[in-house]
Amino acid sequence: MNQLSGSRVVEPYLERRIVLAVLVVIAVWLLLIARLFYLQVVEGDRYRVSSERNSVRTHRVIASRGIILDRTGKILTDSRPSFEVLLVPSDSGNLDRTLERVAALVELDAEQVRERVGVPSGRARFQPLRVARELDRRQLARVETRLWALPGVLTQVSPVREYPFAESAAHVLGWLGEISPRELESGDYQGYRRGDSVGKGGVERLLDRELRGRDGGKNVLVDAHGRELERLDAVESQPGKNVVLTLDHRLQAVALDGFAATGRNGALVALDPRNGEVLALLSRPSFDPNSFAAGLDQEAWARLLADPDKPLHDRALQGQYPPGSTYKVVTALAGLEKQVIRPGFEVDCGGSYRLGRRRYRCWKRHGHGRVDLHRALVESCDVFFYQVGQAVGVDVLAYYARALGFGSPTGIDVGREAAGLVPTRAWKQRRFGEKWIEGETLSVAIGQGFNLWTPLQLASAYGAIGNGGTRYRPYVVKKLTDANGVQLQQNEPEVLAEVAISAKSLAEVRSGLRGVVHEPHGTGWVMRGLPGGVEAAGKTGTAQVVSLAKHPERDEEKIPVALRDHAWFVTYAPADAPRIVVAVLLEHGGHGGSAAAPIARRVVQTFLENEASDLGSVVAGN
Amino acid sequence: MTWGPSLQGIDRRLVQNFEWPLLGLVLGVSLVGVVNLISASPEAADGGIPATAWRQLTWLGIGGVAMLAVVIPDYRTLERFALPFYGLCVALLALALIAGPVINGSQRWLILGPVRIQPSELCKLALILLLARALQRRAGSPALDLRELALPGLLVAIPCVLVLRQPDLGTTLLLALVAGTFVLFSRVKVRLLAGLAAAGIGSVGLAWFYYLHDYQKERLLTFLEPERDPLGSAYHAIQSQIAVGSGGMFGRGFLRGPQSQLDFLPEQQTDFVFSVLGEEWGFFGAALVLLLYLAILVRGLMIARASKDAFGAYVALGVVSLFFWGGAINVGMVLGSLPVVGVPLPFLSYGGSSLLTCLLGAGLLMNISMRRYVF
Repeated sequence: MNQLSGSRVVEPYLERRIVLAVLVVIAVWLLLIARLFYLQVVEGDRYRVSSERNSVRTHRVIASRGIILDRTGKILTDSRPSFEVLLVPSDSGNLDRTLERVAALVELDAEQVRERVGVPSGRARFQPLRVARELDRRQLARVETRLWALPGVLTQVSPVREYPFAESAAHVLGWLGEISPRELESGDYQGYRRGDSVGKGGVERLLDRELRGRDGGKNVLVDAHGRELERLDAVESQPGKNVVLTLDHRLQAVALDGFAATGRNGALVALDPRNGEVLALLSRPSFDPNSFAAGLDQEAWARLLADPDKPLHDRALQGQYPPGSTYKVVTALAGLEKQVIRPGFEVDCGGSYRLGRRRYRCWKRHGHGRVDLHRALVESCDVFFYQVGQAVGVDVLAYYARALGFGSPTGIDVGREAAGLVPTRAWKQRRFGEKWIEGETLSVAIGQGFNLWTPLQLASAYGAIGNGGTRYRPYVVKKLTDANGVQLQQNEPEVLAEVAISAKSLAEVRSGLRGVVHEPHGTGWVMRGLPGGVEAAGKTGTAQVVSLAKHPERDEEKIPVALRDHAWFVTYAPADAPRIVVAVLLEHGGHGGSAAAPIARRVVQTFLENEASDLGSVVAGN
Repeated sequence: MTWGPSLQGIDRRLVQNFEWPLLGLVLGVSLVGVVNLISASPEAADGGIPATAWRQLTWLGIGGVAMLAVVIPDYRTLERFALPFYGLCVALLALALIAGPVINGSQRWLILGPVRIQPSELCKLALILLLARALQRRAGSPALDLRELALPGLLVAIPCVLVLRQPDLGTTLLLALVAGTFVLFSRVKVRLLAGLAAAGIGSVGLAWFYYLHDYQKERLLTFLEPERDPLGSAYHAIQSQIAVGSGGMFGRGFLRGPQSQLDFLPEQQTDFVFSVLGEEWGFFGAALVLLLYLAILVRGLMIARASKDAFGAYVALGVVSLFFWGGAINVGMVLGSLPVVGVPLPFLSYGGSSLLTCLLGAGLLMNISMRRYVF
């Protein structure tokens, strides 16, 4: 080493301190090395007992995941214990022979098991691999009693998710799956590890952190065969929180029955218009999250994705459909607010309306005769709304559609939501680079043309009309409780906006919607005769899949199903102070009143009956 | 620019005086770090060399070239760049807070094309150059008083606050400790030193109530009382001790540590990389690396002592203090002697910016060493 001590330039005090620093640094490092010696050589034996192959293992203790309940306390999602057999390859000695024995005990094909386990190398050799899951008690007992002959094998209880209401609420509840590398890297999953189960949709995804709790762990000393010798330390797991939803399983069940009876796809949304609570949310067809819980194989997943009916697609939140005649409330409110519709305003419907060289037909071929706003709503006269729409123009229609919440997401807490579409002149210019055509205003005014909205938006908008103009943010999560049911956190209703429409206009439209149900020629007569003499209000709608002109066949039964119109029905009850609003969409369900309304009726009826019996039981309980 | 004379100065005497020992030590420890990363990376199980180790090796190449480049210009010319370099680092820190991406809840990085740089790392060097410049200017004058400490204190506080806001408690602590070390090596009245210590304790109190995150408080409390929360905070420490302890005298061997234990150590490539080393190479391996590391420190202090001017001495002391505090805190934490603070182990932890900073620091030491006769 070359000489570093040259002639003196550095100040003496600095030199003294540097010499001191050398001593301090050496002293600190000796302390560190002493500590290292203590840990590795003195204490080391604690972790490395007699046998060379004994070692300390950390076993995770998976926290029990919170359950999901409906508003009545019914369990929608639960975890049940599942017994599994694990194997640590580094402890197993002859891996093939051990696998063969285990396979025989749990009645699996040895070849298959071997294929699944593969040839673990490197670090994987030290990690437990899952050999079999979902053992029954008999199989478990057989393995447990022979553990002494099965080096490296251990059994473990792990929770498996169960969804008793899979059919009716799969989209809301979601499902569990192994965390993907993308999710791990996204930064949203701090503290998660590879191999963890995470919620992949719905409430399971939204509240994953709350539901999962905190895993515990234990450090155990194991012998050469991986058997636990001594527990060194342990950390208890903390169970996840329970989630109580605003849904009512009875309404879900009735809605499901209703759809099953039609055999059609579609969606249903039921809200409490007084606060935005979602009472029922259904999308058909559905999928079975139970089959994901045990680990979905690639093939089944690919089948789900390739299904032309798109079962994973949540039609209630993401399905965008032309609103059909349910749109007419927008045209009516625009006309009222812009004073196109004044007292005494009437239109003579002769079955069609002429604009330029084209004739726009009313759905009723021979016309409705002279109609005012009330009759036009009750009988859903197209010609009346053609004229009002033309008078106010498409941009005014768009303004009032947006005021009711169309064209943007409602802000529901769970799930992904589509925005729908509210066309304007500027939108068409942007989207297609074309000018707006007057005739398109007529289509828009009766809910055909470019308009698109989701079942959720429709329910939310009619709820606002029914309650006098308050738009609430729909929500599904009512509260969080701890594992013992003690409330921790509650979601409060949130007012999104007071709709900028006068009370008088809203009242006129409400009167028309009540007439749809209760007056002669009303298209919503199915809603009559609800329990307790409750009156309902509502509107039917038919969303054209192919325009009337292209398909002159008037007899619905003769049109192929795929070309038949979508049926809408939206209703709220009681008509004067609604406590429930229901929107139903039936894909290719034909004319609105006929197919969709009975489903809505069953939901409203059940709701009212439950109200009465729930109240009764409260009174009796007192 | 005075590159000319310096370049000419390279010729004979510089080559003769080339700082071989430090170069060898630094490259040796860094290569141990790369090899150790192969063990510490989760992909190791799949065979082949994991991506993290490759990236670290790439950074070692880049940093090695940068280190040799730093040797070329006479370090005294660097004095003039101290202030602008400091300004640039503070600006980059501010930029990271404004425009940097949020990764794992903190804003520490700037994205430059394919690389992610951490300005707080370069800031360590900037602070060292700046403080060395400040101290050498008043070399020979009487002891410092409070007034003279105010401006340097402010210049230290600015990056500290910015880094704390990221938030990065470990790096803030390191910056403060390096700055504090400079005070120890300056001529300061004893009373003032005592006052500063009191102020330091006071600011810790303030930090406790205003700046520290709950998890950080929890870690400190857990250190004082490990039974508080054996899962959350103490788990790192317990797991790390188990890993190191089970390494025993000779270790488990390369890639043979039962890493299942370390599944509970999410930072095993960065802050807890030393526990992987301890597990696989045992007391012999880990102690050897510590001794090599100690040799770097002592060699650095010798370079400081031999420096021909105060600036060189102070720069060298600053770099050594950076290595000292980083190494002592990190290893102390891994061995359970200190609370868990997020401080990487210089030369060994995974991270390009950190390795680059360490190599640049080593380059400064070599530069000063080689010019001890050139005057």
